[in-house]
Amino acid sequence: MDVPKPLLRGAVWLGHLLILGGASAGATLALRVLIGGTGTLYLTLPRLFPFAQMSLSVDGLSAFFLLVVTLVTAAAALYGPSYLGAHAKAPLVQTFALGVFVACMAGVCCAGDGLTFLLAWEGMTLASYVLVVSDTRSDENTRAGLLYLVMAHAGTAALLVVFLTLAERGHGFDFDALRTAAHSLQGPTRTALFMLALVGFGAKAGVVPLHVWLPKAHPAAPSHASALMSGVMLKVALYGIFRFGFDILAPTDGPVPASWGWTVLVLGTVSAVIGVLLALQQHDLKRLLAFHSVENVGIILIGAGLAMLLTRGRGAEPLATLALAASLLHTLNHAAFKGLLFLGAGSVISRTGVRNMEELGGLARRMPWTTWLFLLGAVAISALPPLNGFVSEWMTFQALLLGVGKLGGASGLLAGVAASMLALTGGLAAACFAKAFGVTFLGRPRSIHAEQATESPAPMIAGMLLLGGACVALGLVPGYAMRLLDGPTQELLGGLGPSAVVSARGPLVLSGTAATSGLAATSISVTAVATLLALLAAVAWALRGWPRRAPRRLAPTWTCGMLPSSRFDYTATAFAKPLRLIFAAVYRPRRAIAKETGPSPYVIRRLGYTGEVVDLAETVLYTRLKRWVTATAQGIRAYSTGRIHGYIAFVLVTLVVALLFFART
Amino acid sequence: MSVDLATRLIDVLGALLLFSTLLILAAGQLFRAIYAVAVQSVFLAIAGAVLGAATGNPDLWIIAGITIVVKAVLLPWLLIWVVRRIQIPREIESVIPINATLGLAAGIVVLAFRLNASLGPVRQAITGNALPVGIAVILLGVLVMASRRKALVQMVGLFAMENGIFFTAMAVSQGMPLIIEVGVILDVVLGALVMGILVLRVRSSVDTDIADLESLRG
Repeated sequence: MDVPKPLLRGAVWLGHLLILGGASAGATLALRVLIGGTGTLYLTLPRLFPFAQMSLSVDGLSAFFLLVVTLVTAAAALYGPSYLGAHAKAPLVQTFALGVFVACMAGVCCAGDGLTFLLAWEGMTLASYVLVVSDTRSDENTRAGLLYLVMAHAGTAALLVVFLTLAERGHGFDFDALRTAAHSLQGPTRTALFMLALVGFGAKAGVVPLHVWLPKAHPAAPSHASALMSGVMLKVALYGIFRFGFDILAPTDGPVPASWGWTVLVLGTVSAVIGVLLALQQHDLKRLLAFHSVENVGIILIGAGLAMLLTRGRGAEPLATLALAASLLHTLNHAAFKGLLFLGAGSVISRTGVRNMEELGGLARRMPWTTWLFLLGAVAISALPPLNGFVSEWMTFQALLLGVGKLGGASGLLAGVAASMLALTGGLAAACFAKAFGVTFLGRPRSIHAEQATESPAPMIAGMLLLGGACVALGLVPGYAMRLLDGPTQELLGGLGPSAVVSARGPLVLSGTAATSGLAATSISVTAVATLLALLAAVAWALRGWPRRAPRRLAPTWTCGMLPSSRFDYTATAFAKPLRLIFAAVYRPRRAIAKETGPSPYVIRRLGYTGEVVDLAETVLYTRLKRWVTATAQGIRAYSTGRIHGYIAFVLVTLVVALLFFART
Repeated sequence: MSVDLATRLIDVLGALLLFSTLLILAAGQLFRAIYAVAVQSVFLAIAGAVLGAATGNPDLWIIAGITIVVKAVLLPWLLIWVVRRIQIPREIESVIPINATLGLAAGIVVLAFRLNASLGPVRQAITGNALPVGIAVILLGVLVMASRRKALVQMVGLFAMENGIFFTAMAVSQGMPLIIEVGVILDVVLGALVMGILVLRVRSSVDTDIADLESLRG
C-alpha cells in the first residue's frame, strides 16, 4: 500500500475512534434499558427482502449483552491504534474488519428477528475470519482460519435448521412469530430443536468437544481482536443459548425439560475442567488464555444449566434466579478480565515479539503497568477476592450447593459433582495463572527480546486500565451489578429479581436477608474482605521498614559455585509437570529427549527436549472424523473418471431411477 | 381443425419423432446424425403448428417458426460447417457398440410407455400419447450424449433432448409461455456456439481432439 505513513496512522485512529464512539452510544442505550426502565426498544429496519421485515429490538437480555459487547469494544478501540501501529501488516483492513465485527456482534444481540440475527451472525464470523488470517500470514494461521470457518459454518447450518423450522411454522421471521411457533411444538420436537441450537451456538462458544478451533484461531488475530473474540464473541453465542433456552423455545407452561438442564450442566462441567486442564500445559501466552475461555464458558453454562433444572415455568424460584444471575454476571466479569488479560498479553507480545512464555521472564521491572494490570486480571480470573471473578464464581458455587438439597435425586447428585468440579477448576485456574504470571513477568529475562522490552504506549495502557477498573468495580460493589441483572433474569424466569434475592445493600454479595425467598446462603462482604486485604498489605508495607538486626547485604543466590543464569529459573514446563503427571490419563503426554554424544557416551554435546500433550477431543473425535471423510472422498473419487459421457451416463441412470421411483406410487 | 384429427396427427408426428431419434442413435456417420436431428426438428415444428391450429394459441405458431429456422436449419448448418472446417474423421466413435445402444433404447422406450400408465392424470385430450414419446425422446437424447465419444455428436444428442423437452411441454401444458421457450432456444444456440468455438480453438491451437481433455482430471 502506498498510503503515506501519517495519513495511514490517522485513518487507523479515526476508525478506532469511530468504534469507540459507537461503543459509548451502545453502552448508553444498554444502560438506559437496564436501569432507566425504558422498556423494550423497537426499531423497524428498511425492508431489504420481500419476504421478511427486519427489525432491531432491545429488551433486558439484549441490553445486558450489548453492555458486555460495548465494554470490551471501548477498551479495544483505545488500545488498537497503537498496537496496530507497532507491527501490523494491513492496519486499514484490520481496522475496517474490526468495525464490521463489532457492529455485527451488537447486531446479533439487538436483532428483533431471525433474519437480522443470522445476517449479523454471519457477518461476525466473516469479519473475525479476516482478523484471524490477516495478522501474520503463516500456513498455521491459514489452517486455523479454515478450521474456524468450517466449524462456524457447520454451527450456522444447525441454526438455520432451527430458524427455518420455526419461521415456517410461525409464518414470519420476527421473534414473536418464532415464539408463537414454538408454543405449539411437541415435546420431542422442541427438545430436538433446542439440541440443534445448542450445537450451533456451542460450536461458536467453544463448548467441549466443539472447541478445537478456538485455541488455534483466537491467538492468531491481533491482540485486541483476540480480546474481543474471546471476551465477547463467545458471549454473543451464549446470548443465543440464553435466548433460545429460556425464551424462544422454552415452554410457556411448566418447567423446561430436564434433559436440557442436564445436557447444559454436563457440557458446562466438562468444558470447565477440560478447558483449564489444557490451559495449564500451554506455553504460548495467548493460547493459554484462549483455553481459559473454554473453561469460563463452561462455568457460565454450569449456572445456566442449573437455572434450567431449577426453574418451574413462570414463577418465583429464587434459587433459579440466583443461578441465572451468577451465570449472567460471570458473562460480564469474564468479558472484563479476559479482555484485560488478552490486552496485557498483546502488550507483552508487541514489545517483545515473543509469544512463548519460556522465552520471556523478568518483565516486571521493564513493563510495570502491564505487569500490574496483568496481575489484576490473573487474580480476577483465578476467582480470588476481592475482584469480580470471585463474586460470580462464588455465587455459582452457592447456587450449586443449595441446589443439591433443593433438587435431590440424580439431578442433585449432578449438581454436587458440578460443584466439586467447579472447585477443582478454580484451584487449577489459580495454579495456571501463577505459572503464566510468574514465568512471564518474574525472574530473569530468558531471551534478548525480553531483556530489551520497554513499557507500552499510553493508549494501550488506557485500554487496559478501563477493563481493570471494571474488574475492581464489579468486584467491590457487586450489589450495583445485581440491578443490571434484574431486567434480563425477570424476563427469562419471572419472579423476583436478583437484587431482591441477593442482598443489594451496596457491597454485599449474598445474604440471609432474602428470608422471603427462602434462601439460607452464607453471606460474605467483598468490600470487607477487600478492606481486610488492604489493611494486611499496609501492615506488611509498614513492617518492611522494620529495623533488622543484621545489616542488609545484596548477593546472588548460592548456586554451588556456578555462575547463576536465567536458565536456572523455573520454566513453564517444569511448573506444570506435577499436574502433567497427575492428569496423565487426560493429557497422554509424550516426550522425547534427543542426546548427541561425543566420542564417549559420558560426553554429551547437545541435549534436546520436546514434550507435548494432546487434546483428547482432537485426537479421538476429529482425527477419526477426518480419516473417515478422506476415505469416503477417495472412494467417490474412483467414480470420477473425467469422461464426459461417463458423467452423462450417471445423469441418465439417475433420471431413470427417479422416474421409476416416483411413478411407482 | 377438429380435435380428433389433431389427436391423430400428433400421434403420427410423435411416432415420426421417436423414429428420427432412433435414426440418430443408429447413425454410423456424423452427417447422418446431423440430418436426422434436423428432420426431427422439422417434425417438432409441424407438431407445434398442428397444436396451434387445434387450440388457436398464436404462441405455438411463433414457436413452430422459430424451431424451423433455428433448430432445423441454423444449428445443423453450424454443425456441418464446423465438421467441414476441422476435417475430422466422419465416423461416429461410440463408447457402447451401436447395436447395444439400440437395445438400451428399446428398453427406455418400453419404460417410458409403462410409466405413462401411472402418469394418467396429466393425459390431455388432444395430445394423448405424446407424454411417453416426449419422455422417451428426452432419455434417448441423454443416451446419445452418454454413448458417443465425439463432442459434436454429444451436441446432436443435446438437440434431440431439447426437442424432447419441447414436445413434452406441448403434450402436458400445450406449450410453455413464449418467453421461456425463446429463452430455452437461445440457450441451446449459445451452447452450440460455445461448443463449436471450443472445438475449433482446441483443434487449431493444440491439435488434439476435445475428448482428450479428460486426461486433465485432478
